[in-house]
Amino acid sequence: MKKISIIIILFGLLLLSCTVKPQPIDYVSDHCNFCDMTVVDKTHAAEYTTKKGKSYPFDAIECLVRKINRENNEDKMAYILVADYANPGELTNAKEAYYLITKKIKSPMGANLSAFKSEDKAKKTQEEFGGEIYNWNEIKSKFQ
Amino acid sequence: MKNIMIIFLLFSLVGHSKTIEVCSSCKTKSIQVAVSKAVDGDTVLIKKGLYKEFDIFVDKSIHIIGENNPIIDGEKKGYVFKIQADNFTLSGLTIKNVEQSYTKDYAAVLVMRSKNFRIENNILEQVFFGFMIEKSKYGIISNNEVSSNAQKEASSGNGVHMWHCKNMRVEGNKVHNLRDGLYFEFVSHSFISNNTSYKNLRYGLHFMFSNNNEYHHNEFKNNGAGVAVMFSKFIKMHHNTFHFNWGTASYGLLLKEIYDGEIHHNYFEQNTIGINIDGCTRMNYENNHFVRNGWAIKFTGGCYLNSFMFNNFMNNSFDLSYNSKLNDNKFEANYWSDYTGYDLDKDGIGDVPYRPVKLFSYIVNQTPETLVLLRSLFVDIINFSEKVSPVFTPDDLVDSKPIMKEIHDKY
Repeated sequence: MKKISIIIILFGLLLLSCTVKPQPIDYVSDHCNFCDMTVVDKTHAAEYTTKKGKSYPFDAIECLVRKINRENNEDKMAYILVADYANPGELTNAKEAYYLITKKIKSPMGANLSAFKSEDKAKKTQEEFGGEIYNWNEIKSKFQ
Repeated sequence: MKNIMIIFLLFSLVGHSKTIEVCSSCKTKSIQVAVSKAVDGDTVLIKKGLYKEFDIFVDKSIHIIGENNPIIDGEKKGYVFKIQADNFTLSGLTIKNVEQSYTKDYAAVLVMRSKNFRIENNILEQVFFGFMIEKSKYGIISNNEVSSNAQKEASSGNGVHMWHCKNMRVEGNKVHNLRDGLYFEFVSHSFISNNTSYKNLRYGLHFMFSNNNEYHHNEFKNNGAGVAVMFSKFIKMHHNTFHFNWGTASYGLLLKEIYDGEIHHNYFEQNTIGINIDGCTRMNYENNHFVRNGWAIKFTGGCYLNSFMFNNFMNNSFDLSYNSKLNDNKFEANYWSDYTGYDLDKDGIGDVPYRPVKLFSYIVNQTPETLVLLRSLFVDIINFSEKVSPVFTPDDLVDSKPIMKEIHDKY
């Protein structure tokens, strides 16, 4: 009986380790998959995870968008995540995020692009710094 | 005669400027008060002592000079100096404890829309950003030391950060333990020389979208990834030393989308990758020394019309790594320590061409894990067979005039 329970637990672990999950970004040592720069900016980082479970970090949201545009691989991804500017270090679903381009907030690759999880926060930041708000499809066509 | 006297008198009145002293026992005890009292041309002389001040706003052409290293403690509350003035000097100060933030670039000294200024001989400690210079021109930043305690986290700033600047000089500074030592974004016609940048988390020096600049006689060591020059044109890089940039994806110099640059008389020693070249065109590499690197040069993207002449390749694991079958770059008259040919006619040039790309470097490009086989007999055999009859490496990727003796040109 004891043996069986151990086996069941082991199987459970095996199943757990097989689920596709985004890897946490290792800031400072991970390199951007598009421009090769080191990922340091917790307010502008991004990451996608393929359906096979491999995660690729990006140092800036504009790099992620350009990569997806270039390779046209959006449907191969299990997760596409962008940093929430309002919560440094937190990643949020790229397709539901609100994107703000404003000259007052610089981003690592010079596109002045930040993302927000909540529309409220995006609007508040827009009121303070100006600029324009976009959704995922609009931001993709902007970097086409 | 009387007229002349009057003219002299007038001149002496115009030329008169006063000095305002600041110390704990002086009439003026605060730097901000002294600055607001001053008019254009005055000197604010800060005597030795500890001043707890922040957001000191300067909008006048004055000299702020520290005597015997006075310490200004920002107590982690915002900026320390915010300057928007032409013709000012800031020297001899020790500034420490600048607030850290994710959303605001707090700096020890923020300079906005200024010109003709001089910032020298200051010591900045425990800063977020050191000098943040925005939309300014004709400034000199020299002989400062900027440091912080950037650990393995992203909440760190840059030592000297310039944004939209022109005609600047950055000379003889020491920057360490920051994110990027020196960072230039949209900067042109500037000179960066004799600086030392070390132990920074990311880059010792970082150029983005900055054209027509020159950096020389700098030393970059033990940084996360050496120096990155990206999306820039007409950059001259010479007499710099890049060493000890070790790590899985680390390099001495990263070039990405660079056009028409000059790289000469540099010294690359013990880096994982000496130069990582990605999408660079019309570059000249001359008289550089590549000593004991993992890869001396690694091409990772389409590169055209680059020329490598009179370089020394000494004891690198791989002299060159190449990712395409086409070659549009020129290698001529370099010294390769791996060259095994003879020079029977004694003209100083090897009789048979040298092939700098080893077959094994292709395999490593495809499967990095094979690197453990590097010194094995099997690898030696495949490298040798490729040397005898090249199949995988580009046919014309050869140095047809390899030099027999090391080039002793002082770097």
